[in-house]
Amino acid sequence: MSVQFCVLAFLCFAALAYAADLHLPATVTAGNALTFAAPGNGDATMYVSGPGTAIKRKVQLGREVSISGDELKNAGRYTVAVDGVGSGSFFVTAAPVGSIAFLARPSRVPADTHDVINGTAFLFDRYQNLVTSPQPIKFELSVNGQTVTRTEMSKDGVAYTKLDSSKKEGAAQFVASSGPASVRRVVQEVASDACDIRMHAQPAQNGILVQTDPVRDCAGNPVPDGTIVTFTSTDSIGRSTVDARIKRGIAQALLPASNNATISIASGVVVGNEIRWEGGR
Amino acid sequence: MKHAFSFAAFSVVATSVLWLSSARHPSIVLAASTPSVTLVIRNAAPRQVEDQTQKAVARDYAAAWQAMADAIDQNRPDLLAANFIGTASDKLAETIQQQSKTSLHRRYVDKGHKAQTVFYSTEGSAMELHDTVQLQIELLDGDKVVNSEDVTVRYVALMTAAENSWKVRVLQEVRQF
Repeated sequence: MSVQFCVLAFLCFAALAYAADLHLPATVTAGNALTFAAPGNGDATMYVSGPGTAIKRKVQLGREVSISGDELKNAGRYTVAVDGVGSGSFFVTAAPVGSIAFLARPSRVPADTHDVINGTAFLFDRYQNLVTSPQPIKFELSVNGQTVTRTEMSKDGVAYTKLDSSKKEGAAQFVASSGPASVRRVVQEVASDACDIRMHAQPAQNGILVQTDPVRDCAGNPVPDGTIVTFTSTDSIGRSTVDARIKRGIAQALLPASNNATISIASGVVVGNEIRWEGGR
Repeated sequence: MKHAFSFAAFSVVATSVLWLSSARHPSIVLAASTPSVTLVIRNAAPRQVEDQTQKAVARDYAAAWQAMADAIDQNRPDLLAANFIGTASDKLAETIQQQSKTSLHRRYVDKGHKAQTVFYSTEGSAMELHDTVQLQIELLDGDKVVNSEDVTVRYVALMTAAENSWKVRVLQEVRQF
């Protein structure tokens, strides 16, 4: 009975000894080397598998075994198996932030609009691992000397923000930075819709010449050239409509001659003044 | 249940096997099925995930895992192009290159994914998932299994919208969420 017990105990011990886990650290920072002890005598084959890594090499048991930092640059779980000794695993975690992938949307926005600019930043280390630990990220939007700054904490490698566009149009510099990493994008802020359109009319050789005053948005920015303005003339004969594009800040059109017409103007949803044209004036 | 979508429901061909034959890779066996992926979207921010997007992401993420499993088992980087892009594609290709040099390959037995969307960008072009996966992973040296483990692992996946599918841009295993 005691012999059987001894044999069983020996077999259990032998099995446990063979399957003993390697003593590996729980985590290693990306790019750092790792050393560990592989107990025993003689040579054995070591296998390491991990993200971007597959190593097979001879190691000497009883001596320290090392895996270089260059072999441990990708974040994730690594498994080490040494033939006849055992196996274990450890995690490589991302190194400090080294680069940012920055999405700034949209690239063109109306001025003086609430929460219209979106910035999303993804944080990576120098080895292109996502830095999942919380990091402060500064978002900075500057245009015409005015700067708005907002700091957000990243979560799972991502941070995002929404910002208002500034009152004045211009090319806004939108910068995301964290630690030594910084990325700049340009967001073109353009005038919003026309705020108040004013026009005047005068007789012309072949009709009525209508022309706007300089068209601006509510913040005083000139509405971009190419924006369409619609002139409409209504008289006893019917209605005439002319679409004209703003050119150098103003729009103009030639309407059919009439002795008694009502002339109106609109751009998008904005309606301007109305002129009653009577007796050629 | 409204916000959970299981791709397994679409995998009615789960047990079938597809035989491919080509000059370079004759008689390679690819499982025609894709892993089971359950995707929960209720924690998505700052944008809510639309139903169609949820289905598309679950489908494409499952396909990506299947492609990865095939690629690292057969050491074929060409299998990655349809589902991976950027960093994820580069790192998997690097894995395969190193495996090929050392006659190693990895075999995944995928027992299912429980994923949730934790980030969906405002403009709808990027989505981050937290995925808890049950895997059996075998490391083989030629035909010899040198290590085998049954593990529950956690992945952070960053997916980006491509022309008509979602591709995996980052696939990174983490200790904890």
